[in-house]
Amino acid sequence: MILFDHVTYTYPEAPGPALRDISLHLPEAALTLLVGPSGAGKSTLLRCTNGLVPHFSGGSLQGSITVNGLNPVTATPEIMSRHVGFVFQDPEAQFVMNQVEDEIAFALENAAIPPQEMRVRVEEVLDLLDLAPLRQRRLETLSGGERQRVAIAAALAFRPRVLVLDEPTSQLDPKSAEDVLQALVRLNADLGLTVLLAEHRLERVLPFVDQLVSLPGNGHDTLAGPPRQVLPRLELVPPLVALAKRLEWDPLPLTIKEGMSFSRQLRERVVAPEHRPEPARSNGPYLRMRDVKVAYDAQPVVRGVDLDVWPGEIVVLMGRNGSGKTTLLKSLVGLIRPQAGRVKVSGQDISGKDVAHICRQVGYLPQDPNALLFANSVLEELTITLRNHGFETDRPADLPINPETLLDRLGLAEKANCYPRDLSVGERQRVALGAVTVTQPGALLLDEPTRGLDYGAKQALVDLLRGWRDAGMAILLVTHDVEFAAAAADRVALMSQGEIIASGAPAPVLGASPLFAPQVARLFPESGWLTVEDSLKHLS
Amino acid sequence: MIHRLAWVSWVGGTLVVLSTTRNPLYLALTLACIAAVGMRVRSESWAGPASVSPLRFGLVVISLSTLFNALTVHIGRIVLFRLPAWLPLLGGPITLEALVYGFLNGVALTGIFAAFTVLNQALPVRSLVRLVPRAFHQVAVVMSIAVTYVPTTLRQFQQIREAQAIRGHRTRGLRDWIPLFVPLLIGGLERALQLAEAMIARGFASSGERGHDTLTRLVIAQGLLVLLIGWLLRLVWNQRILGLALMLAGSGLVLAALWVIGRRVPHTDYRPEPWTGRDWAVVLGAAVAVAPFLLPLPGLGRETIFYYPYPALTLPGFDPIIGIAILGLTVPALLSRKPSVVSDHQRKLEKLSSDPL
Repeated sequence: MILFDHVTYTYPEAPGPALRDISLHLPEAALTLLVGPSGAGKSTLLRCTNGLVPHFSGGSLQGSITVNGLNPVTATPEIMSRHVGFVFQDPEAQFVMNQVEDEIAFALENAAIPPQEMRVRVEEVLDLLDLAPLRQRRLETLSGGERQRVAIAAALAFRPRVLVLDEPTSQLDPKSAEDVLQALVRLNADLGLTVLLAEHRLERVLPFVDQLVSLPGNGHDTLAGPPRQVLPRLELVPPLVALAKRLEWDPLPLTIKEGMSFSRQLRERVVAPEHRPEPARSNGPYLRMRDVKVAYDAQPVVRGVDLDVWPGEIVVLMGRNGSGKTTLLKSLVGLIRPQAGRVKVSGQDISGKDVAHICRQVGYLPQDPNALLFANSVLEELTITLRNHGFETDRPADLPINPETLLDRLGLAEKANCYPRDLSVGERQRVALGAVTVTQPGALLLDEPTRGLDYGAKQALVDLLRGWRDAGMAILLVTHDVEFAAAAADRVALMSQGEIIASGAPAPVLGASPLFAPQVARLFPESGWLTVEDSLKHLS
Repeated sequence: MIHRLAWVSWVGGTLVVLSTTRNPLYLALTLACIAAVGMRVRSESWAGPASVSPLRFGLVVISLSTLFNALTVHIGRIVLFRLPAWLPLLGGPITLEALVYGFLNGVALTGIFAAFTVLNQALPVRSLVRLVPRAFHQVAVVMSIAVTYVPTTLRQFQQIREAQAIRGHRTRGLRDWIPLFVPLLIGGLERALQLAEAMIARGFASSGERGHDTLTRLVIAQGLLVLLIGWLLRLVWNQRILGLALMLAGSGLVLAALWVIGRRVPHTDYRPEPWTGRDWAVVLGAAVAVAPFLLPLPGLGRETIFYYPYPALTLPGFDPIIGIAILGLTVPALLSRKPSVVSDHQRKLEKLSSDPL
């Protein structure tokens, strides 16, 4: 059981409190989902449960917290570690050892648990999280989902009664994320473990959630209760819930199955959507790949790919982990040189040109935007790119675009003088986007741009990309996020084992696939609708 | 698995051989032994590739060492060419002898590096950590973090280099390194903070003072002082026996204090490593290999060990018995594949569950 009684917490030297007068009651053995925009204090609230706040962070805390009958503030994090297992966002940043078993045993060894009991406990958690076949593996050879499961196993080694997770899937692809969430649901159902989870992917956990807590930030009131009570009052919800709210379905469906009982009654109103007119393809594709092959250490990764991206379209590339998507993007800007085949940008072959040269015409946003940012202000990040490309930044007339104008379009005008790394994940990503597009390239490549973004930030990104597409940019993006792909794509290509296996308009390619179909397509099969907008256009 | 201490004896053996001899034949033989063991270790399923390949390291070090020695040491009979005398340090005859000696030094250094690479790949971090005396358990944990940190940091650096390249960044001058190092540094700090938080959340006590009391600390200080006095006596005043006795006594005091502290640090080991006959074989092999280099054994051509190309280059001698002794270093590569630790572990577990407690 977790109890917050009028808790207010302020970080050291912060102008205002990060948590303001929070009162919560989370019953034992409940699965609680904590939602809210980035920066609303979710991480801070979670860290109150095991004493990391205020013991590790400093700052001042008022009100009282009780976790399993203990006060985490007077007990120390060391004592709380036996009662609360804690899992962080990035699995990689929390490991001490480099082998699965050793990592799980680490905390037990430090607590001087007798070796025989330690063996039993390690075996126990290995089984709980299905890690027994991986017990001897090195951590760096595991996939992201497997690593996060190891982190959960390590957190459970002390047999805590409470498990707290801070966005454990934000760094993972959907398949791995689902593995992790399923493991959590099982732990909660089978062991009666109290689970407190902060998470952006509501659609996967909603059906199993006992209690939903919304932390809206900006001084608004905290909402808490069963999902059906809280969801109607939330703005940013999964497509199924958004649609149900607009069509006033009652009781609010939380699973596709529940939603089907309402959508079935609307079947007769389903009409095939009109096709979006093909964009005018006068000048040939901006990006062209012909029979491109890439291999690492004699292992073929990309096997003979043909791909064209025309100005004024958004192409979404989807596929499993390791199917060669990132490699394909990198070979378009010369970061990887293909063993065979031709890559043309704006009609020019790129072989023999250096990366910097190619990137004036092709903007590329890598998976981790943090790798890009190093300047002291947001504006400077943009001017540095311009200077790299040999532009004189003190003569605005010669620049491809005024950096301030671009910041304004990115919605960052007010942040121009902020330190980039202080911004939220979504804002940081937009700064990185600004830094790679300030040369006004004709094409933009994005690698997994929705990692760690909440629904609001994703929608903002879709709007931004559509704006650029309409201005004639050729956009190619790689994503695992089905709903994002459905909202953004003009054309979808599916990749598997280094080959493009399907390509075409989003409705037939995504809608027909059992794995990649978005929620709306599952509710209205054969309708050709992919997003809430699509369906509302016909239904309301 | 070979026991960690057996691995240490193997590395110790290679170090003794590599640092004692400059005979190219013995050096080549030792390098071949290390390579054989290295290949064996790499074929074991879980060892990943080394972050810096010893081959690449060797190429750089051997060429640097050869060049440096040839340019700065002007002794030897076979003069290749002369640099003008007004050049400081470099001026004078450039000799084949200096070139050869520099090359041999480079080869020995490469061997040392390769031996440590093998050790690093053969032992999981857990075993490396246990090599540190338990009194320094906190240090050991820091060490393990450092070991796991290096590959992550290298990967991150690669990512950052790509990210800057796509912004049109080129590394020409010193200033151009800023965009590469600032994100690396900040990213590293962020990760360090995150790790600290994770370790506290898992109950890792930050109070490093447990088990260290004033008395044991004083004993360590005393031991070090006695050790120092003994060393000075031997070195400066030539009191060999008294000096040696004091040095032994000092080391004894330090070790005893460490042992006492280690027993007080509460800590248990998951899956203790057993010492088996295979480990004896490794130690024995290393002992055989170093014996001709350390002991004045009669009937051996020990002069072949101390090969020196100056003042005139000669062909190195070779004593087949010493050659065979060096092959003792291949023992870790020759041992049969033992059933894995897992089944060993499971056997113990089964025993545990079948024994009524």
